[in-house]
This record gives sequence, C-alpha cells and structure tokens, in this order.
Amino acid sequence: MERYIGYGYLVAALIGYLVTMQRSKQKAQQAAASSVKSFLGVAPTFLAVFGLVGLLEVFVPPALIERTLGAEGGLLSLFLGGAVGSVAAGPPVAAYPIAASLLSGGAWMPAVAAFIVSWTLVGFVSLPFEAKTFGWRFALVRNGFSFVFALVIGILMGAIV
Amino acid sequence: MRRVLEFAKSESLLVLTVVLFATAFVLAPGRAVQAARIGAGVFLGVLPIIVAVFAALGLFNVWIDKKAVARRLGEGSGIGTIVIASLFGTILVGPVYVVFPLLKAVREHGARWAIVGAVLTAWAVKIPMVPLEIGFLGLRFSLSRSILVAVSAIPLGLLLEYVMRIRTGEASRPGPD
Repeated sequence: MERYIGYGYLVAALIGYLVTMQRSKQKAQQAAASSVKSFLGVAPTFLAVFGLVGLLEVFVPPALIERTLGAEGGLLSLFLGGAVGSVAAGPPVAAYPIAASLLSGGAWMPAVAAFIVSWTLVGFVSLPFEAKTFGWRFALVRNGFSFVFALVIGILMGAIV
Repeated sequence: MRRVLEFAKSESLLVLTVVLFATAFVLAPGRAVQAARIGAGVFLGVLPIIVAVFAALGLFNVWIDKKAVARRLGEGSGIGTIVIASLFGTILVGPVYVVFPLLKAVREHGARWAIVGAVLTAWAVKIPMVPLEIGFLGLRFSLSRSILVAVSAIPLGLLLEYVMRIRTGEASRPGPD
C-alpha cells in the first residue's frame, strides 16, 4: 500500500510536469531547477540520516530504546520524545527515517509522534533567528506553546492510531 | 580550509555520522559495514518517493506565488483569513531562513499575529513531504499527524496573539489604526 502511494505520487508529479511544460516550457525548467536545488540542499542530510538509521539498527539495542522512549516510561517517554525533537536541527525529511527506526526498536508511538511534531514545530536551534525576526516574546511563547501542543498531539495520536 | 569548516558547521549531522561510522569501523568493522548496508537498503527502498517528493516540490514552487499570498494575508483580518493562512501554511515548504522573513513581510503588510502564528504552525504539516512520511510511518500515522497539526494552527495562532497583546497595549494589527 505505502509503496504504491510513492509510485502514484511519482506519476502525479510526472503529469504535473507534462501539464506545466505544455503551458510554459520555461516554468517547467524553473520547477525542475528548483527541485534539483532543494534536493541538493538536503542531500548531505539524507546521507547522514540513512547512515544513522543503519547505525541505530546495528548498535543501539532495542532494550535501550524501550527503556528511554518505551510505553513503560509513559509521560517521561513522551516528554523525552518531544524534547529530542525540539533540539534536533535538520529538515523534516530527516525525522521520518529516524522515527521509523525508533518505532521498530520498541519506542512508544505517542513519544515518536511528539518527536516528529516537535521536530517540525519547535525550533530550539533557530530560536535566536526567530527572536531576531519577530522579537523574543513571540519566539519564546510560540515555541513554548508548540512544545505543549506536540505532547498533546502525541497523546491524541496514541488514542487514534 | 575555511570552506571545509563552514561545510562541517552547516552539515553537522553528516559530520556526526561520519565520526560515528569511523569509530564503529575501528571498533567493529563487520557491524559497521552491516550498518552501512542497512542504511543503503532503507534509502533505496524510499528512493522513488524521494524523487517524487522533490520533483513535486519544484512544481509547488513555480505555481504558488508566495509573495502574492503574503500580500493577501496582510489585507484580511477575519477568521476566514486565518483559515486561508493555515491552508497556505500546510503546503509551505522551506527552511527557516526563507519562511521567517516571508512571514515578517506578511506581518509588515498588516497581518495579525494570529495569522503569523497559524502559518508557522501549519507549516509543520508539510503536505508535499507527506508521501515520504507515509513511506516510513504508514498512512494512518501520517494522516492523523497532519490533520491534528493542521487543526492546531488556528487555536495556537489565536493563543499566541492573545499573549502578544498582554500588557503591550499593542493592536492586533500593526500600522496606523
């Protein structure tokens, strides 16, 4: 099922390019150039993340993952998942493979959900930049609320999925 | 040398991985090779989705006029505009150094704090990346997460605006009132 979604999306993107090309060759070229640029931007991260996934699988015993992020840990696992996601810096595409490894290693799903959501919603590393752009009050309040929302969404995910 | 250092700083995750692999290779070469094989296998498994996601990303970039949307978000102030802001946020993909200045421009065009907050929250949905998420975490996980984050955008935006106005006497919209 998941595999077919990937191929379906590939076909959809191809059709998108054909339609764009018909309307304007230049626009299609711009789109392709922008795609390549985005990909090259995250390529080093991809390389790192797939390497990390391999290392995680081989060197980190599932017992350790279960102890730190497992269901037994309850709220502490949830908090830890959210906290790690908050300080992690990197494009979101890096979060998915790591989250999948953690899940298969025995992590509690709500903790993994909090990890993913805070990865994309809370930016500890980008906090100074956010404060410079919108002011400290905005940056601190937004990240604070977002962290709480990430934990709540994690709990809700546990109830739904 | 300086360029090498700059690259290492901006790609610290890659540096970390290389260091870990080097260490693993010294301590347990067999298992390090096994780890590299697993990583490569996972990568090849999702390669079609990665290609599709990044190909589509370019299309999103040329078809959606971010600056025009930014102007529109500055003009409205009702709850409808916040909803539009959230929807716009869900398809928005880009690094902070692109998205923050864009939203600063939105704010300077007269947008409420709630709009800025809603876009920043919905930005976490990243619809163009969802196929990749489905590939790794499954359809149910990805859909539930996306919907929950999208739904959070409006309350989080309003909450943020409420706090921004406490004791500042600041109007919800910037500029001459």
